[in-house]
Formats: sequence, C-alpha cells, structure tokens
Amino acid sequence: MLGNKQVNWLVIVFFAVIIAVVFRQIHTSMMEQGIATGGPYDNAAAYPRAIAIIIGMLVMFQAAVNWFKRRPVSPETDLTLEQAYRPMALLGIFALYLGLLGVLGYHLTTTPMIIALLLVCGARPSLHIVVTALLIAFALAYFFEAHLKVVLPGGIYGLNIPW
Amino acid sequence: MLVDSLVAGFGLFMTPLALGLTLLGVLFGLLVGALPGLGPLMGIILLLPVAIGLPPVAAMGFLIAIFVGGSCGGSISAILLRIPGTPLAAATLFDGYPMAQKGRASDAIGIAISASALGGLFGGLVLIFAAPALARVASNFAPPEYTALAITGLIAIAVISDGSLVKGLIAGGFGLLLATIGTDEFSTGYRFTFGTHHMLNGFHIVAVVVGLFAISEMAYQAMSGDLLAKPKITVARPGFRSIAMTLRHWKNLLRSSFIGSFFGALPGAGGVISSFTAYAVAKAMAKPEEKYGEGAEGGVVATESSNNATVGGTLVPSLALGIPGDASSAVLIGALLILGYFPGPTLFEQQPEIVGGIFLVYLASNVFLLIAGILATPLFVYVLRVPKVYLIPTVLLLCSIGTYALQASVFDLFVMLGFGLVGILLRAASYPLAPVVIGIILGPLLENNLRRSLLISQDGYWIFLERPVAALLLGINVLLIVGAIWFAVRQGQKSDEKREVPEAP
Repeated sequence: MLGNKQVNWLVIVFFAVIIAVVFRQIHTSMMEQGIATGGPYDNAAAYPRAIAIIIGMLVMFQAAVNWFKRRPVSPETDLTLEQAYRPMALLGIFALYLGLLGVLGYHLTTTPMIIALLLVCGARPSLHIVVTALLIAFALAYFFEAHLKVVLPGGIYGLNIPW
Repeated sequence: MLVDSLVAGFGLFMTPLALGLTLLGVLFGLLVGALPGLGPLMGIILLLPVAIGLPPVAAMGFLIAIFVGGSCGGSISAILLRIPGTPLAAATLFDGYPMAQKGRASDAIGIAISASALGGLFGGLVLIFAAPALARVASNFAPPEYTALAITGLIAIAVISDGSLVKGLIAGGFGLLLATIGTDEFSTGYRFTFGTHHMLNGFHIVAVVVGLFAISEMAYQAMSGDLLAKPKITVARPGFRSIAMTLRHWKNLLRSSFIGSFFGALPGAGGVISSFTAYAVAKAMAKPEEKYGEGAEGGVVATESSNNATVGGTLVPSLALGIPGDASSAVLIGALLILGYFPGPTLFEQQPEIVGGIFLVYLASNVFLLIAGILATPLFVYVLRVPKVYLIPTVLLLCSIGTYALQASVFDLFVMLGFGLVGILLRAASYPLAPVVIGIILGPLLENNLRRSLLISQDGYWIFLERPVAALLLGINVLLIVGAIWFAVRQGQKSDEKREVPEAP
C-alpha cells in the first residue's frame, strides 16, 4: 500500500533531484560555456540558480510539514496495489506503444495497443473490441493524414496509407 | 482603435474556415465538458496540435470556442447525472439536478445553455472594452513593471490554486525552471540541454501540457470504478423558449455575469470561485418562494452565466498583458505564441486585426453556443451513455498523434509520457498542476524582463522599488502571501479545534 505521506516524500525527493541537477549543470556545462558568471547579460545561470534556491527553501519547508504533520485518521487517500494495477498496466502498454511506434509504425502498433487498453480497462475479449480498435485507429489516422497532412510514423517498413 | 481592430479582424473572421471551426469548437467543447473528467482545459489541450497548423484567427476561434463550449458542457451531466462534467458546473448541481428530478431536465439544460451564452456575451463586451484599455495602460510599462506583473500572476495563481500555498509555489517554480531549458536569449548559451539537439529549444509546451494534464487524467480515470458502466439517462430536448425563461431572470443574469467577468479578470480566481459566489449572491437576494436548492431556475442562471462570463474576463489580462488568468488561458497564450503572436500591448498596436478577429470569434462562439447547444443537446445526452472504457484509449491515441504531429518527433512523445508520470506524482501528492503551466508561460516574460531591468538599473534590485507601479505590484504580492499564510494558519487552528472536540456518539 502506497500512502499519501510516502507519495509526498517521493515528490520531495523528485524536487531535490531537480535542484541537484540545476546546480550540477551550472557548475559543469554552463561554467564550461562561460555563461555562469558576469552581469545580467552574460550570466545565464543566475536566474535558474535563484529559482532553484527558492524551490529548495520551499521544499525544505514542505519536508518539515510532512515530518511533523499527524497522519490522517482515514486511510482513504492511500492507494492499494489493486487500485494501482490498472493505471500501471495502462501506462506500461502506452510506454511500450510509444517505444514501438518509431520502429513498427502507426498502423502496425495502434490497433493492438487500443485492444490491450480496452482489455485492461475491463472490456471482454470479443470481435466487437477488435472492430472498435480498428475504427478508432483508422478514423484518427484518416483525420490527421488526409485532412491535416500529418505523416504518421511509418516505421522500418514505411507503412503509410495514401488516403 | 477598438472599431479599427474589429473592422480589421472582420475579414479574418468571416471565412468559412474560421466560422466552421468556431462552430466545431463549440460542439467539441460541449462534448468534452459533458463527459465527466475531461472539461475545457483537456479539450483545448487535445486539439492544440491541430489548431497550431491553422491560420491564427481560425485557430484561436477553434480553441476559444472549445473553452466556451466546455465551460457550459459540464452542466449537462450535472443536471442529468448529478455528476458535474467539470468543477465549473459543481454549483449548477444545486438546482439543476432537482429540476431534472421534477421532470424539468430539458428546461434546466436549456436555461443552462442560454445563461451560459448570454453570460459569455456579457463577458465578451467586458473583454472588448477592457482589454484595449488595459493594453493602453500597459503600453507605458517598462521591464520592471513586467517583472513585477509576472511575479503577481504566478503568486496569485499559486495562492488561489487547490492545495497548499507552498505546494502551489513549488509547482510554479518548477514551471519557471522548465522554461529555462534550451538556448538562452541573451548569452546564446545552452542551459540544461544535456548535449542533445532535441532540447535546444526546450521541451515543447504542448508535449508538457498534454502529459501533465491528459495522460495523468487518463491514469486517474482508469482507477475509477466500473469503466463499462452505461449510465441510464432520460432524453432531454430543450427548446428556444428556454431563452425567454432565462431572460425572466435578467437582473440575476446581469449580476452573475458581472461577477463572472470580474473574477475571470483576476489571475487565479477562475470559473469555480465565480460560479459559487454568483450562486451565493443570487440565493441571498432571492425571495423565499423561489426555493433555491430545490430546483430554482435562478440558481442555474446564476452559476452558468457567471462561469461562462469568466471566460471573457480571463481573456482580458491574457491578451492585454500576456498574464494568464488560469490554466486554460495559459494554454491559449501558448497557442498564440506558437502561432507567432506575442500577447500584450504590442499585439494591440501592431496586429489589431488579430485582436479584432479574436474578439469576434469569442462573440461568435457564444452565439453558436446558444443555437447549436440547444439543438444538439440530445446528441450530448447520447454521448453520456458511452462507457468510459472507450474514452481512455481514444484520448491516449489523440494525445500521441497530436503530440507527434507538432514536429514529427518521437522525442516529444517521450517528453509527453515523462510529464504524464510527473503529473500523476504531483496529483497524488496534491500539488496543483495549473501553476506549472503558468510558470512555463510566464517564465520567459519574467526572466527576460528581470535581466533587462537589471541592465538598465543604476542601483541593482532597487529599481523595483523606485518605480511606483512595480513597487505597488510587489506590495500586492507580499499582501497575497501574508494573506494566504494567515488563512492557512486559521484553517489549521480550526481543524485542530475540531479534532480536540470529538463529536458526540
């Protein structure tokens, strides 16, 4: 079970990493380019440094609030693994789709992705969901390719429909 | 100046493409507004990639029409399902749903659409007269005033956003940091690009916004109960007589529209606050026999006219100053920037035809809302019966094609996914997302003007206190923060008191 408090700490860590990246970049890349010193015109690091410092102070304050805040009486905000399964599966399928999109192209990847998402969302396996997936995939492809002149990824096989 | 810009914009507005897209935008807006969980912001985000390939007035007409339609569409599900399609329609539920229970669903929806359109037209008048006046005042502003203004916009939104002040400020700061990624305009050095050419211009704002809002929303929708459920809804067919029914409450309509426009023009206030305020005022001024809360027509008139008038109000600072009033107007500013136009006094001086065109498409979208909204209601009622299971893959696919279409870049797709994960994380920890977008939009305005101010200053940062307008705005910022802290402390004390005095069993 992932509690609200743990998620709050995760966000604190996320912002701490961002601040660390800002300072690391200022002391490496920007220093090497010579844009981390000088007046307002030349010093491109002063502004992000100031923002990072302000965020850092706010994050420390928030961390203190998280530390001293009493745990909520009701565990309603806590997320169980059962609840998280569906969005996690959804994001996993979507990430896989994006990864394969450039390789296999839109037409080979989209229909299976929609079918997989429909199944994850609770639809029963049937011909109906295959037809629905084909309709959604090709209707959107037609709209973007034929009307908006967008060339969708063809992948290594160069699959594109000349509408 | 005003008439000139309207005349100049008329040619750009009176094209089949601009008119057709405005109508389409209203219908799409009503659709996304009616579907619980989507709303005008999501509608604008989803079709932003489509719009940025269009001529400017047609593109802005399309997006503004989605904003207008989406602000009204939430009332349909609020009235029929007792689930507001958007938070904007939450107050419409108080009287809209009881009206439906009494067999007056068609009247309630008709009044909601009529009040939205008429309130929106009132907001349009405010926009047309107030925006050029504000732009004239702002044309005297120099970098210090713009710096202070950008800080005010960001702080106001962080203060009023859902969640704590600190979380809002952190989110806003995160947006400001994101805006620094890419090539620095002054030194031409590279910041946070990690040696990749994909990041030389920073992250594409559309990829960031789609990820933050749309992807995270779909993940949350997937978590909700039975996605195959088909709600049982009775068919509603409002008629044009509902316009007359709405006009019977003309005092309420004018008052609520004024409240909506006023709150819209304040950065951060937005439609939710305005609709609840308008409802409270209308209820306080109503006669007891009107029975607010039990299906009073006036309740629907108040909330719907105010939340649509807010759209006009929110466009005033957005167009005249480049300071967005909420996340939707921030995305509209983003669209205008991508199209190559910089909101602010210069836009009014140098491209009056664009400003005039935007005014006209805004007015037209409200007229279309009145006619098409009433005629097409049965269609939206039918759409509400479609199970959510089909919505999630369609939205995700639209997100990916739309984001890819921006620059034919697979990198943008991964940026979108990455920000989707960030959005889920921030939402799970109750961080508001709107300040992130506002920070991205205001970031360049803030940094460029801050550095310009320091370049022209003889006394460093004292320049901000030497100039009266900048000093006044900074004073307002201090007051906003002090006020928010005082409010938070009071709330904390109240909840402590409640915890110490347990309720009797």
